[in-house]
Amino acid sequence: MAEHDDKHHLSSLFEVGAERLKLIGDNAKLLMQGYLTGGIDPATVSERTLRRLISARVLYQPDDSHELKLRHPVTQLVAALVTDESRRAIHADIADKLVSIRGFVEGLKEAQRMGDSLRVDSQTLRIDEAVYDLTSQFEEAIFSLWHRLNSNFGFVSNLSDKIRENSRAQQQIQRLIDGLSLIDFDDLIELAEGNPTLRKILVSRLQQQMSAHHGSLLEVQIRLVELMTRFREQQERSLLVLNMAGFLREHPGFMVGDYSYRSQVPALVNCAAPIFPAAAVSLDKREQQPELVHLVHTLYRELAIKAKTDVVSVTADAVNASAQQQVVEARQQQLKQDTMAYFLYVCDTPQPHSALAFLIEQQLEWPAEAWLFQVLAEYNALPRHEQKLFTLTRDERPISQFNHVRIIEDLKVRYQAA
Amino acid sequence: MMLHGPLLEKLLAGQFVCAITDEEFFAKLQRDEVRESIDDYLKPLNRRVAANDDNSVYFLAYRDIDDPAREHLKQQLGVVMGSLLPLLEWLTYVQEAMGSDGILTAGDTLKLQELMVKTEDNPSLRQRLQNLANDKFFGSSADSVDAQGKQVARRLVEHGYLMQPHSNRLYFTVTGKIDYLLELVRFIKDEENIPLDTSQTQTELL
Repeated sequence: MAEHDDKHHLSSLFEVGAERLKLIGDNAKLLMQGYLTGGIDPATVSERTLRRLISARVLYQPDDSHELKLRHPVTQLVAALVTDESRRAIHADIADKLVSIRGFVEGLKEAQRMGDSLRVDSQTLRIDEAVYDLTSQFEEAIFSLWHRLNSNFGFVSNLSDKIRENSRAQQQIQRLIDGLSLIDFDDLIELAEGNPTLRKILVSRLQQQMSAHHGSLLEVQIRLVELMTRFREQQERSLLVLNMAGFLREHPGFMVGDYSYRSQVPALVNCAAPIFPAAAVSLDKREQQPELVHLVHTLYRELAIKAKTDVVSVTADAVNASAQQQVVEARQQQLKQDTMAYFLYVCDTPQPHSALAFLIEQQLEWPAEAWLFQVLAEYNALPRHEQKLFTLTRDERPISQFNHVRIIEDLKVRYQAA
Repeated sequence: MMLHGPLLEKLLAGQFVCAITDEEFFAKLQRDEVRESIDDYLKPLNRRVAANDDNSVYFLAYRDIDDPAREHLKQQLGVVMGSLLPLLEWLTYVQEAMGSDGILTAGDTLKLQELMVKTEDNPSLRQRLQNLANDKFFGSSADSVDAQGKQVARRLVEHGYLMQPHSNRLYFTVTGKIDYLLELVRFIKDEENIPLDTSQTQTELL
């Protein structure tokens, strides 16, 4: 019975496993995309596929993210497959390609001996193609390295993974450099002996490209090492902070030693108390006095402004009131100016001129009563000797017969030069 | 000395000068002859220019360490130790909230608004900020994440760990004083032989 169960279990395991591996295979491109960019946008995948991938524990959707991520074992699987492949690929491929180039060259030489120009051409083309494949292989690998470097290894989420990816990339560079060293130029020179076209393809062009690749590989290597140093520093700092915080939490009463009473006080601890250089006004230097006087004056002015703004800013009401007052003051000033204009007008006319008539002629907006009052006030405010130059006639009428109150209906002012 | 007047005042006031706080002053302090002339000037005040290990931040130290100086240093160390835990906790909180690779370091930019949004969405981060803000070093009694975050940032600016380039914008730059603080932590760890969890370090490094 137990045996039967086991068998049953095994066969279902087999089926599920095979089915899920197939699922991964069916969605290979999508998953690789996710591996390289760090996430998959759910909008790009059909809902059915999505559900199957999630239930097969290939993908998951973190709570805080809109994107889907590859589960860790899947990422690892891909990483393992890719590195192995590239390791195998580089070495085997280069040796293989070199062998096939050699074969093509021999074919070419044979065709030349036989004078088969058609075959010579086709063999030359094949050599050209094989050399191209050889260099483009390095090109692709280098491009992928730069990509990983520039994205700051953004496709893995945490720092220790980045460190792992970085060292993996460094190993890959080493393998690429080893691969480059498989190309023996002395050998190739010998092979191209006496054929200018071959010399160009196999020696000068290949040499140029390979040295360029070598240069970029070294550059990537330097950058990777720099980045690794930075990663390690970050890691060290994080751990230091994290662990120290943990330690202090567990030991609330922790006190450091008496560093300041040691004969050699540690440099970092020696941080002096602040001194604030203070200064006051002094009167003992005569030549500075004009400057001080100027300072005092500005100070007064500033204080005055401050007092004014203080008053203004006491409350919103006060601000309003003062704004209104300013409006009133402006109107008063205008009224005064209009009155002055009236007096100046009078100076120019020989006949006595009515104040109300002036008000209407000039289309001034003042109420008649206020206008007359202002003219009268202005007249009375003139210095005595100037007052003598004007004759002011009141056009008035008694308000009642029981008292002596009179209403001024109009005023006429006449100018008479002395 | 009039030439270095503002720089001197800053140093005398106990401030740390780094490339982030004052690029110009920092460039001056990197020159040996400037440091020497300032040192000469500070001699009667019993001060000299000092720097951290990698010369990324300058401050004033006592030239001769007499008894009042020792007493002051002792007190000061006590204050630093008192504020150490909240500062370290804040650093780990920010790292976690922002999901960054490392602890904040000099020159990093901190966008407070972004930090607050991430904190709002996460109950455990909210709790951590709450605990931090209530610590007497940060001294906030506010309830809202926004107010707590602002208070914490304000205190860090006061203590010179952060700088706010524009007073009306909520982004901050980390100053070199953080590096000084971490060096001090490293020093204390080595000096006191604090057994920080090395097994984790080992596995992480491998």
